[in-house]
Formats: sequence, C-alpha cells, structure tokens
Amino acid sequence: MLKGLLKTIGKIYFGHKIVLWMILTILPVGVSVFMLEMFSSEIVQHVPIGIVKQDDSELANKLEMALRSSPVLDVKVLCHDMSECEHAVIRGDLQTFVVLPYDLDRRALRLETPVIPVYSSGQNYLTNMFATKEIRAVITDVGEKLFTASFENPVKTEIHSVGNIEGNYQGFLALGLVSAMFHLAAMLVAVYIASFPLRDRRVREFYQSAERSWLTLAVASFVPMTIIVWLEYMGCYAYTHRMLMPMGFEEFVMVSVAQFLMVVSCVGAGMAFVGITGVMRIATGVSGVIGGPAFAFAGQTFPVMAMPFAVRCFAFVLPLTHVLRVQSMMLLGDVGMAESWEIIKLMAGMAVFWALLGSFTMYLRWKYRLSHDSKLPVVVDDENPIDIEKTVHETSMRHQEAKHD
Amino acid sequence: MISRLLKVTLTEWKLFFSDPAAVLLLVVAGILYAFYYPTAYVNQTVVRVPVAVVDLDHSAKSRELTRMASATQQVEVKAVFNDMLEAETAMAREDIFGFMVIPENMEKDLLNKKPTKINIFTHGAYVMLHGTIGTAFSTCALTVGAVSKVKAIALSKKVPSAKAMAMRDPIPISIQTMFNNTGSYSNYVVPSVLVVILQQSLIIGICIMGGARGHRRFRRNERYSEVENESMPYRYLGRSLAYFLHYCCFILFYHCFIYNLFDFPRRGELLPMMLFAVVFLTSVINFGMCLSQVFLHRESSMQLFLNLSIPILFLANFSWPSYLMPSWMVGLSYVLPSTFAVPAWLSIEQMGGDIYDVAPKLYLLAIQSVIYLVLGMILTHLRDKTHFKTGDM
Repeated sequence: MLKGLLKTIGKIYFGHKIVLWMILTILPVGVSVFMLEMFSSEIVQHVPIGIVKQDDSELANKLEMALRSSPVLDVKVLCHDMSECEHAVIRGDLQTFVVLPYDLDRRALRLETPVIPVYSSGQNYLTNMFATKEIRAVITDVGEKLFTASFENPVKTEIHSVGNIEGNYQGFLALGLVSAMFHLAAMLVAVYIASFPLRDRRVREFYQSAERSWLTLAVASFVPMTIIVWLEYMGCYAYTHRMLMPMGFEEFVMVSVAQFLMVVSCVGAGMAFVGITGVMRIATGVSGVIGGPAFAFAGQTFPVMAMPFAVRCFAFVLPLTHVLRVQSMMLLGDVGMAESWEIIKLMAGMAVFWALLGSFTMYLRWKYRLSHDSKLPVVVDDENPIDIEKTVHETSMRHQEAKHD
Repeated sequence: MISRLLKVTLTEWKLFFSDPAAVLLLVVAGILYAFYYPTAYVNQTVVRVPVAVVDLDHSAKSRELTRMASATQQVEVKAVFNDMLEAETAMAREDIFGFMVIPENMEKDLLNKKPTKINIFTHGAYVMLHGTIGTAFSTCALTVGAVSKVKAIALSKKVPSAKAMAMRDPIPISIQTMFNNTGSYSNYVVPSVLVVILQQSLIIGICIMGGARGHRRFRRNERYSEVENESMPYRYLGRSLAYFLHYCCFILFYHCFIYNLFDFPRRGELLPMMLFAVVFLTSVINFGMCLSQVFLHRESSMQLFLNLSIPILFLANFSWPSYLMPSWMVGLSYVLPSTFAVPAWLSIEQMGGDIYDVAPKLYLLAIQSVIYLVLGMILTHLRDKTHFKTGDM
C-alpha cells in the first residue's frame, strides 16, 4: 500500500506539472511576500496636499511652515485659486487642499475666528482620514499658541491599537490578505488536483497506480498539498507577524491549528466543487467566485456586524472569517487565547463537513469516470496518454485521402 | 471586408454562450459580482460600534463623559467596567471593539488645573473600527477638555466665555469632504472593484476562448470552419470587436443600473465616459489577446489571474497610495490597464472630471493598447505557425 501511495504521489506531483507547482507554491507565497512589500512603508505618510494661500500674513506663513514640517503631509502645490486645487484633486495629484483665507491674521488677532476651510477627497478613505486628522492637529496647535500658549490642554488623549501598537498597516491588512491568499490558493490547488485526472483522462492510470484503492488515491492526491499549503501559510504568517507584538508558543500553536483547519475546509470545498461540476474550468470559476472576494466579506475591513443578514450568513460559512477572528484574538494575548477555543471547535466541525462532502463527491465522480473511461477505446501508457482527438483527426484525414486516391 | 469582420465578431459572440466556462466568466461573473460586492456594504457606513468605558474615576465628570460617548452616532457604549481586564476580556470575545479608560482623579485634576490623560484602546486587527472608535472617543474627551480650558481662560483673563472660546481656538477649521461626503465605504470600494472585475473577467474570458488563435482545438465541431480559419488580422480584430461590444454593454449596465440601484454618485459626462470605454477596453482586450497565446491550457489563465486579483486591485492606487509602494512595484503596475483605468474611472464617474482631467491617464491607456495590439498580433501569428503537442488550445 505504501508503495502504491508513493508511486501515486510521484505521478501526481512530479509528472512535469509546472502549473501545479506554480499555484501550489510560487503564486501564494510570491503574492503574500509581494503584498508585504507593498505595505513596507508601514504607515501612511507624505499625503500630497495643496494650499490656496489667499493671505500672505505672518500667521499664514506660520501655518504653511507647520503644514510643510508635518511628516504625514507633503505640500505639493501652492495653488493660485481653488479651482486649480480642485482639479488637482480630481486628477488624483492631491488628496486635500487647505484655503488660508484673506485677512486671516488680522481677523484672528481681532478674535473674529476666521474659519480655515479644508477640502478633502472622500474617495480615498484611508488617506483622507490621515490627512484631515493631521491638518486639524497642525492648525489647532498653531491656533492655540496665539493667545493661550501658557494654558496647557487639560485633557489629552492617546489612542492605542491593541496588538498593533504602531498602527502598522502590515498588521491591519497584510495578515488578513495573506490569509485570504491561502484561502483561495487552497481551493484552487484542490480543484486542480481533483480535476486534472478527469481533464487528461488519467483516472484509470492513477487508480491502478494506487493499487485500486480509492483511499490511497485520495490520500496521495490531497494530503501532500494540504500539508504544503499549510506549511507555506504558517511561514508567511510568521514572516508577516514579525512586525507586530511577538507571539508566544501557545498562541502560535493555536493560530496554526486554526490555519490548518481553514486549509482542510478549503481543500474539501475545492474537492466538492470538482465532484459536483466535474469540469476543471467550471470548478475553478466557482472557487474564484467564492474565494476571490472572500476577504471583502470576512469582516476585517468592513465589520460583519454592519453587513445585511444574508451577507452575514455567507461570511459565517467562509472559513476565512473564522481564521481571521482567531488571528485577531491572538493580538490580544492570553485573554484572546481563552476565547478562541470556541472558534477552533467551530472550524473543526467545518473542516470535517467539507472534507467528508469533498471526499464523497469526488469518490462518486472518480468512480463514474473510471467506468466511463473504460468504455472508450483508449490505451493509456504510463507517462504519455494518447491524444484521442489527434488520432481521430488523423484517421479521418487518412480516410479522406484514401477516398480521393 | 466589413462583412468578413462582422462574421467573425458574430460567431465569437455566439460562442460565448455555447461554452459554460465562457458564460460563467464573460456573462455571469460581470453581473453577479456587480450585485455580490456592493450588497456587503449596503449599509454604507459603520455606526453604533459596540464599545465600553472603563471608569476609574466614578465622578460626575466621568459620567458626563460616558454620556457624551453614548450620544455619539459612531459608537454605542455597551458596558461601563471598573477595571481594564474586564474590558479586555469583552474585547477578546468581540462583544466590544474598543474602550476608553477614564483615569482616577480626572475630575479632581481638572478642577486643580492639572492635565489628565485619557487612553483609548482599539482592536489592532480592524482598521476601520480603529478610526471610528478613536475619533468618537477623542472628540468627546477633547470636548470635555475644551470646556475646562474655556472656563480657565475666562477666569484667568477675566473675559466673557464667548471671547474665551475664541481665544482657545482662534482659527477653527471646517473640513469639507468632496465626492464621498457621507464617508460611505461602498462608494470608496465598489467603483474601483468594478473596474478590476471588468478587467479580470475579460482577460480570463479571452484566455479561456483562446484569444485570436486559429483552429482552436477545443472547438471540436467548428475548428475547420471558415471563420475559424479566417486570416489573422480579421480573426484578431473581429474577435476583439465582439469582446469590445460585449463589455461596452457591461459599462452601460454598471453606469445606468448598478450605480442607480446602489446609489453611487454618477457624475460622468458622456464624452469622457465614451473615451474611457474605448481606451480601457481596447487596452484590456489586447492585453488579454497577448496573454492568451502564452497558456497551453484554457484553465491556466484562471488559476493565475484569480491568484493575482488582490495585488492587481491594490496596485491600482486603491486603498494604499502608490507613492508609498516601492518604485519597482510602481514600475510593474504600469503593465496593467487597471493601474490607469481605476483612477481614471473614479475621476470621471465619482468626481465628475472632464476630459482634460483624465487625459494623462487615457493617453497611457492608449499607449498600452497600441503596444499590446502589436504584441498580440505578433504572438498570434507565431502561435498559429507553431504546432503544440500538449494542451487543449
């Protein structure tokens, strides 16, 4: 049995399958590292802003200098009028512009509280948030020093992001994106491995090399890929996590278990898609439709609680939603670990369900294809399956030539 | 000449509907995703996020602060705890997503004119909630501080409260949010995603159909037909026209129906919209035509592009600004039509940009179109002449 298992693994994984290794290793790991590199500057800074300087007073100059010295902002343009800045925002050259109005200094000194309008594009949610917050802080700081420099602010606030002290974007997003990548990759690889024997008409060949055991064939097909995807996922997660608070061993084990269960669920789902559709293209399409946008529904960007009920149900079915919850709970340390057990149990149930469903549907599909293929006049060599279409075409051409002669 | 071209176009269009995989990508995906994505964000903004207050002061001032926090629209104070551990446990259970710690002796310190610090804790994994909770709590806390400061100024400088208020903040700012003034998350995400959906489904669809390749093996019954063996430029342009017309319908469908249904702003004028459609679709179609000659199997394009969807979306200056990306990544992004198409579409449709505003991006898309057209024709010509033993193309 072991010999059959190893032989089948060799046939499936080492039979010159460039596409398989590409989607199994290169793409998920490559894309994960790529996403981390994308967020390598970690926090939002140098947001391009413009200034419409209608006033050329000392106060206006002071405000301009203060805005220029902020690390979050980058004063790109001094516009002649509002329209110039507005078009720059539409073109995407600026995020925000500040209007320093006429008589700013004079009116401020007379305590007429001249309002400084700040126009910001709400289309870029994140940069808008950072830019407006920083501009408010800078202008308020300058304003406070005009008359009440000796008065300290009685209440100060400090915002802490628990588990992600520096508000690092890799922590905010990249951890979730890495999980989303592997969520999709596990489905796509499972679809590929489950369906390429069907596409290439090699079910009989694999079944025979697995010594006519469906169990051996299933283990040879899906266990190595599950382990490989899981190990890659753990590696990428650990690499991403290095920027955040260090994790304890127990926390790492807990997250790894959740990740393993997610991979098993996704592999089971991929198998089920192939088992039901029987065609690689359609099963891949279905995986893409479900797994592709999963991150948008998993609650890390837009919270699940704010979604409509039907979408919340869909989010609940996605293994990604739960693994993200476990990962985010680990950011809270010991307190989070105690709470994550319930989710692990749920994920285990999900993994068992999808694995059983996938195995059952694949068993039926393989069995059907085996009996169907046996009716075809195909002789299958160990390495080079004969191209039926080509043979049929050549035969018909020969037949036509013979007719002409 | 035109009739030959149109014959290829019509045949290709019919073929979309006879291949289930092509129907899934070129028809169903574009429609399904247009409903599927925005539905999650139909509530548009996050309001009443569950939070808590850890009150270590137990004074009238701390209760006033708690009441102020409860009254804000963004958060809902679910509980008032006596120590931080309770709040942390509730946050781990995800009963709350943040909490504010009112320090001991806050009221006393305020009365004694000593500064006090209020700490706000948010869940580190949720970017949006971090901003919402942080803003809501700090606004309340700073308001309490401002009231105290105004009182202190009025008493020490012996001025009326209105004057004291003006002295505290002599140059107030007024933030005007342009284009998405409700702060809607769907307005921010969905328009960009729709462009990427169009691009991805079209590229994969073209690859699934084998691009402009002649004598496509998967078309068992018609691969020796006249249209299938038409000369290469007719085949290339005819099939491109089929995809172009098909996706023009999608742009219209998004503009007229989806944008209306989900209440997205429709500020696009006709001329920039039409020009955008022409240069964007030709660029994507020619890009797809090039790529379709690379794959041996029809499915390989799906496996590649589904994996690349997330980076492609982020490379389009969506969410994370391109000036914060490494320069090699920005260079790489120039290969993709979406890098220019997403900002151009947002400028036109969301911000009402005119033709001059989007011209630089449309020029770049047009340059891409020409490059990919030449490359696509060369690759198709080479592929037509090559005999492949493997693959189903």
